[in-house]
Amino acid sequence: MRRIFSTDHKVIGKQFLFLGLAFLAVGGVMAMLIRWQLARPGQPVPIVGRLLFPGAGGVISPAAYTSLFTMHGTIMIFFAVTPILIGGFGNFCVPLLIGARDMAFPRLNMASFWVMAAATATLTASFFVPLGAAQAGWTAYATLSTAIGAPGPGQTMWTVAIYLNGVSTVMGAVNYITTVVRLRAPGMSWFRLPLTVWGFFLTSILNALFVPVIAAAMMLLFFDRVFGTQFFIAGTTMRAGGDPILYQHMFWLFGHPEVYILILPAWGIVSDLLSFFARKPAFGYRVTVWALIGVVILSCVVYGHHMFTTGMSPLLGESFMLLTMIISVPTSLLFLNWLGTLWRGALRMTTPMLFCVGLVFTFGIGGLTGLYLADIVADQYLHDTYFVVGHFHLIMAAALLMASFAATYFWFPKMFGRMMSERLGKLHFWPTFLALNVVFIGQLAIGWAGMQRRLYDPSAYDFLKHLLPWNVWISRAAYVLGLSQLVFVWNFFASLRRGKPAPANPWEVGTLEWTLPSPPPHHNFEEIPTVVRGPHELGHPDARARGKDWLGQDEVLS
Amino acid sequence: MNGEAARHLNGAVGMAVFIGACAMLFAALLFAYAVVRSQAPAWPPPGTPPFPRGAAAANGLLLIAAGFALRRARIRGPAWLAMGLGLAAVFLLMQASLWGRLVAGHLGPGTGALGDVFFALSAFHALHVLGGLVAISVLLRRRVPGETRLRRLRLATIYMDFVAVVWLIIYVAVCLV
Repeated sequence: MRRIFSTDHKVIGKQFLFLGLAFLAVGGVMAMLIRWQLARPGQPVPIVGRLLFPGAGGVISPAAYTSLFTMHGTIMIFFAVTPILIGGFGNFCVPLLIGARDMAFPRLNMASFWVMAAATATLTASFFVPLGAAQAGWTAYATLSTAIGAPGPGQTMWTVAIYLNGVSTVMGAVNYITTVVRLRAPGMSWFRLPLTVWGFFLTSILNALFVPVIAAAMMLLFFDRVFGTQFFIAGTTMRAGGDPILYQHMFWLFGHPEVYILILPAWGIVSDLLSFFARKPAFGYRVTVWALIGVVILSCVVYGHHMFTTGMSPLLGESFMLLTMIISVPTSLLFLNWLGTLWRGALRMTTPMLFCVGLVFTFGIGGLTGLYLADIVADQYLHDTYFVVGHFHLIMAAALLMASFAATYFWFPKMFGRMMSERLGKLHFWPTFLALNVVFIGQLAIGWAGMQRRLYDPSAYDFLKHLLPWNVWISRAAYVLGLSQLVFVWNFFASLRRGKPAPANPWEVGTLEWTLPSPPPHHNFEEIPTVVRGPHELGHPDARARGKDWLGQDEVLS
Repeated sequence: MNGEAARHLNGAVGMAVFIGACAMLFAALLFAYAVVRSQAPAWPPPGTPPFPRGAAAANGLLLIAAGFALRRARIRGPAWLAMGLGLAAVFLLMQASLWGRLVAGHLGPGTGALGDVFFALSAFHALHVLGGLVAISVLLRRRVPGETRLRRLRLATIYMDFVAVVWLIIYVAVCLV
């Protein structure tokens, strides 16, 4: 029981990690089913079809398809990436990297995990209610998501699950912010923090500010569905009433910061890891930090670019367009700093490094395609096409997966005391990276050609018929992507049982967690370390005298 | 800095973040209210029965009084703590009876924009008061050292003051403006 209801941040981090990985698998299988339907519309799904869709003889019905893409998005964003990156690695890394014994509020931390568990239970249960799980898309736009568009209890349970997910996230945010503000080891000034910690800290600020907004939207949607209020249903003149567009405002007021909530930890992790494996200090550390802060500030005022086609005032639209384009300034700085870090580094192409470089590539393409969508005129055409799907998958799926895998391969030794196999790691990386790009760049192409998202059978439309071969190839690449994850699953569990025992500092880096044995003892630090330098002192001349190329953050030179 | 003072600061930072998050939640709800109201032909919408302002205001006084009781409890001990708990509980009961009255008077949820707005805001607010109630009752039951107790009591007081202020804002926004 002590291991299940633990208040130790390392145990809670692992719990979040396992929960997220399990749902990553579920969401991934859903993606495979979606790809099957798009490549072979209306044909029975092989192997698992009769098991999953017994009523339709193994064929994915339009209703089931709608549920699939709704739940795929919901699960991946709220129940896979959020728990893995923020819950899992956030919990595990933040106290260790700042030199603290635990989170500021360990019991709140435990509660955060169990509320998340309740949210996942609610979401899972919603598959088994009459009329099935939610079908209004992961954005749950009103009026599709109100009792008019979705009469079944599945959508109601969806709103409750997202609400609980939000409660858990805010609990986590309170903890992370307090921990970073209050529990940094002596000498760990703000500009000596590893960039990973900056990522989690800034993400938590956005979480604390904007997750409550979607919680409010979910609560109002819940009231609309259960108590008959009409916030998101256009009212009659006499009754007065709500506005479906109001839902979109509330959703995207949260939804756009959410994009950065997810990517900020990834940026932080990659900025650190690129430096560690290029064996030189992170290029422009301070610029990176200010760029991250700049993105956080700008992310609050750009959400309208999701709503260019709702008939908003052109003046407002243009402001949102301008602000959105300005975001490319800090993100470009970030990107240039990554390249600067790699430039003439003594690169060690380990598995975590491969995934980081992969992220730099996919994030580059994903970010650049965002500029097309930020432009009002281009967006009129591209809105709701596969171009949007390709764009956000390159960032939310490709880049975040890359970061999650990089983090897993990097911190696995510290978490479990064993090394993962490098050979299998590389075997995992290459098919993943190549297939991923075929899938999502292919989606950009068919979106550019005019294919809308969320169509049950695009080949039913004459003007999209010629895209069927494209869809077949995208699906094939998607299956390769799905199958290559089995290498990761094998590597993960095999290493857990029989991996090579990990030394304290297998990657030879200087941040505080690597001064501890792998895995670290219950309260981390016997004695709280005193920090004397920044996190990226690699290739340091003083270190060479000691026969190595890095200096620990708490290493005193005599 | 000794352990207790450090924990006090931790609590203060955590509570500040938490109240910031709660404030965003109510700000979002008030934003929804503003949009609904700006789109109505008139406010309150034609045909809405008169709203019982007096009852809503009286309930608000109960919450403010609960905050004062918690302040007294810092010096005078658990009797005033129980008093604060009682006042907050009475607030919830009075809110429940107000909802009953509103439903009977065709001002409940689903009857019109004003009924919807008041119900959504006040129900959400009541849930937050309930949270404070739980925190205070835990404080009343647990046998903890005096300093720790005082620290937790301070945090609970800040939170209860916050929900009282939120009620004041809701009251002004929905009933007076």
